[in-house]
Amino acid sequence: MTPPVLGRVVATERRPNTPHEFHFWTALDAPVGIGTIVCVESTRPVDGVLPRVYGVVTEGFGYTDLQTPLHDVLGADGEPGASAFAPTERTEIRLYTAAVLRQVPEEPLQPVPMGTVHLATEADVQAALRMDAYVGGAAPRGIPVGVYRAGGTEAAVHLDADFLLGPEAAHLAISGVSGLATKTSAVQWLIASTFAHLPERKGRVAAVCFNVKGPDLCFIDQPAVRLDDADRALYESLGVPAAPFPRVRYFAPWHARGTHLATLRTHEALQDAVTPLTWGLRETLQYAEVLLNKEDIDAKADALIDFIKERVVEQRFEDDLLARPHTVRSFADLEAWFKELLQAMEASNREQWRTHHIATMRKVRNRLGNFSTRCKGLVTDDGTVSDLPFGAFEDRTVYVVDVAQSEDDAQALVFARVVSQLREALEKRALGVDQVIVFVDELNKYAPSDGADTFVRKMLLDIAERGRYLGLVLFGAQQFRSQVHRRVVGNSATQLFGRMDADELATPGYQTLAPATKARLATLEKGQLMVRHPHFGQPIFVRFPRPAVLTGRDGVERFPTAAVPTLEMAVTQALRRLDPTITVGKVQDVLALAGDDEEGILRARNRTLLARPEQPLAYFKKQLTTRVAAEVVGRAGPATLRTPDPADDLYG
Amino acid sequence: MRAVLRALRASGLGAAPTGAPLELQSRGDDPPRLETVTPLEGDRLAVRQVPGAPTAGLRAFLDGIQRSQVVAHAGTVPLVHGAVAAAVRCRDARRLRTWGAPRRREALLLPGTALSPALVTALAAQVPVLDTTAGDPAAPAATHPQELTARALTAVQRMREAEELALVAAWVSDGDGPLLVDGGISGSPEGARDPRVIGVVKSHRTLYAPAGAVPLVLGLREGERTTAVALHSPRRNPVASWYLRLRDAQGRAPLFGLVRVEVAPLGDLTARADEVSRWLLAERTPVALPDARWDVMVYGIRECEQYLTAILR
Repeated sequence: MTPPVLGRVVATERRPNTPHEFHFWTALDAPVGIGTIVCVESTRPVDGVLPRVYGVVTEGFGYTDLQTPLHDVLGADGEPGASAFAPTERTEIRLYTAAVLRQVPEEPLQPVPMGTVHLATEADVQAALRMDAYVGGAAPRGIPVGVYRAGGTEAAVHLDADFLLGPEAAHLAISGVSGLATKTSAVQWLIASTFAHLPERKGRVAAVCFNVKGPDLCFIDQPAVRLDDADRALYESLGVPAAPFPRVRYFAPWHARGTHLATLRTHEALQDAVTPLTWGLRETLQYAEVLLNKEDIDAKADALIDFIKERVVEQRFEDDLLARPHTVRSFADLEAWFKELLQAMEASNREQWRTHHIATMRKVRNRLGNFSTRCKGLVTDDGTVSDLPFGAFEDRTVYVVDVAQSEDDAQALVFARVVSQLREALEKRALGVDQVIVFVDELNKYAPSDGADTFVRKMLLDIAERGRYLGLVLFGAQQFRSQVHRRVVGNSATQLFGRMDADELATPGYQTLAPATKARLATLEKGQLMVRHPHFGQPIFVRFPRPAVLTGRDGVERFPTAAVPTLEMAVTQALRRLDPTITVGKVQDVLALAGDDEEGILRARNRTLLARPEQPLAYFKKQLTTRVAAEVVGRAGPATLRTPDPADDLYG
Repeated sequence: MRAVLRALRASGLGAAPTGAPLELQSRGDDPPRLETVTPLEGDRLAVRQVPGAPTAGLRAFLDGIQRSQVVAHAGTVPLVHGAVAAAVRCRDARRLRTWGAPRRREALLLPGTALSPALVTALAAQVPVLDTTAGDPAAPAATHPQELTARALTAVQRMREAEELALVAAWVSDGDGPLLVDGGISGSPEGARDPRVIGVVKSHRTLYAPAGAVPLVLGLREGERTTAVALHSPRRNPVASWYLRLRDAQGRAPLFGLVRVEVAPLGDLTARADEVSRWLLAERTPVALPDARWDVMVYGIRECEQYLTAILR
């Protein structure tokens, strides 16, 4: 059935139609607005085919037959209220400008013809956005991003998985003002949608989400408390379960005190799911560049650090100056190595050791030695390693790395190492999944458009430019897109926009948007997004449901943060996760043996947690007096690049 | 217009619209004059303040437009394309919509006595032709071209009036509520007898007042009217008429804001004239600017004219 006529195409010499833009008028009460998708039907065939043009409304005009406002003033005798009593309303027009989404047939590409304008039906929306190429059919790969709603039409809008996760294009950037743009919610929804809809033939997928502020991502394994019927209906219509993520693993460094994890997810009922994130010397030294500034890493210091990495760490090291062989596995070992070496040099009045000057050695000792202080809780002196399960990532699982309470140095180190490890593992096809979504909030902080060229920014640029071939996909969120490095946002094939700041909209990056579209962006409701995607000829407005997970704010109310525990309680709580029969009394008895060595007690607890022994208390007791080498996760496997499926690529 | 041009070219005439529309070339040549009248309220023409507040009472507005232009010459004889349209715009919930269908007509106007019968026949076979000399035995075979264009213009005016009168008759037959006609209604047998039809005359080359009463008419203040008078004409239908000042003319020309109203001479004319005057005073807003006649034109008529202009293009 042909939908009712909404309007008529008009063109004048002053305001002509073009192949990419047309104008139409409607009745005053027509259900059309900025973002509405319309369809033009021409009655004049071209090459025997009646052209059909799809467009999205980008601008609207309304005016009357008044030549100047002064005429209305005269007519109303200067009394604004008088016009309301006029027996006739002035002739008024609603004139809209629409940007062409698609012309069928695509050739010859001509100016939009005169014709009637209709509201797009669901099928029209699918055709207008070229979704017919990847939604449905024998090999569907659509990922629902939301629902387009206008004039009674409701249509699911899908992204193309090949352009969201690679290999054709990849990455997503979401922008908008804090609190109103619902950036985190949108990403949570899109990850859930991806997990639900990515076809099995596209491989296994996981998500690594960096929680960088407050409790944002701390409760995504818990059901939402604010999901209403409208949200549930959206979930149902888009085929995504209205449920929290079934598989979530949390990682957080220890608090600087070491008694508890530095996360807001410390409620007793949820503690089990948080794994400590601690790294030792080897893990940290590999990314020393993150923690060292330009003055630190001059050529001489760099040479010494390389020497330590290659010749000292994780191997037996002997030297004439050293009284004993050293095997450096931890910062404590490294400090002992430096101490003995420097003392020996001073005793023999030597300024040079193996081409390294004593001043350089002292400087490097100082800089490396304070890593564990600057990143206390994350970097351990003793080399204990508790890491993400690189190599054993599971399909459709979210790995939340909570660094919200960490200092900037520690956050940068976590980003650098986790993402680099993901990249290395994906290159070797040894991660456990074929593609990983990496969600980084506050991208303008980590990949700024100006400022120093940091390791983290270089790493994010690398992902943005080459990640799609590996399956390493960046979902970046930022308040101001203009303040993120243009190569990062420029390589994001999919761009989402929540409510935008007016000043941000005035920046050059938004010049292509019509003023009315900008005005709509500046007033978008929560739950609405503007979507740019390679298949869409123009930006489209969609609505998405609230995430079916507990928000950070609700989470901290439902699961209040536990009080900072005493040393005894910290050990008891940790060991009870392995053996619920362990009591404070039993722990106190064991701790009595250790005296005041708090660091030793915490080290023993950490090792016990890592080993997960059958007799935790006995193991813990043994650790109090024994030093154990750091556990290391193995890495192996050949490198393989992802390329487009030849069956999908006509030009392959 | 295109069909007319094609027909002319097919007949071997170089056809193209030339010059300005005849309506712009021709000015009213009738000399201004005074006409004596018969008072219907009292025994002489008097001034009366319209009582009560202006109220919206009109339901519809009728107007017609015309366009005529020389499109070819057969020798020295001008051939004129004429097009007319008329419509009733009906008011519903303060918005105007076309009542029924607008009436349109176009024709090629030519002086049959000045052209070869073969040419007239050939053109008539292709487009509607109107002979401006038909039925006029005194029409010359050859004369001044401007007289011929004047004849064509008169014929186009008659075409327009005919369409307007047809619409008045249709409204009297099927319409609902008071209809305001742009111009007099004495030419319409149906309109001049129906209390629902009201004519408003905006031009005053003829003032219906005795010489001594002219200052009284031109001295009307905003919201005042003259008493009603009867207008009689041998070729027209009798109507009741009065002058009404729509807008304050202080400091302006004496005719500023002055209209003459025509209604059927039925019933209590004082009450009727007061009621119709209140309706017209209510129509001062929205103002009909930027039309040059905005002081005497109600918005409904201007809107109707805009509509007709759009459909006649």
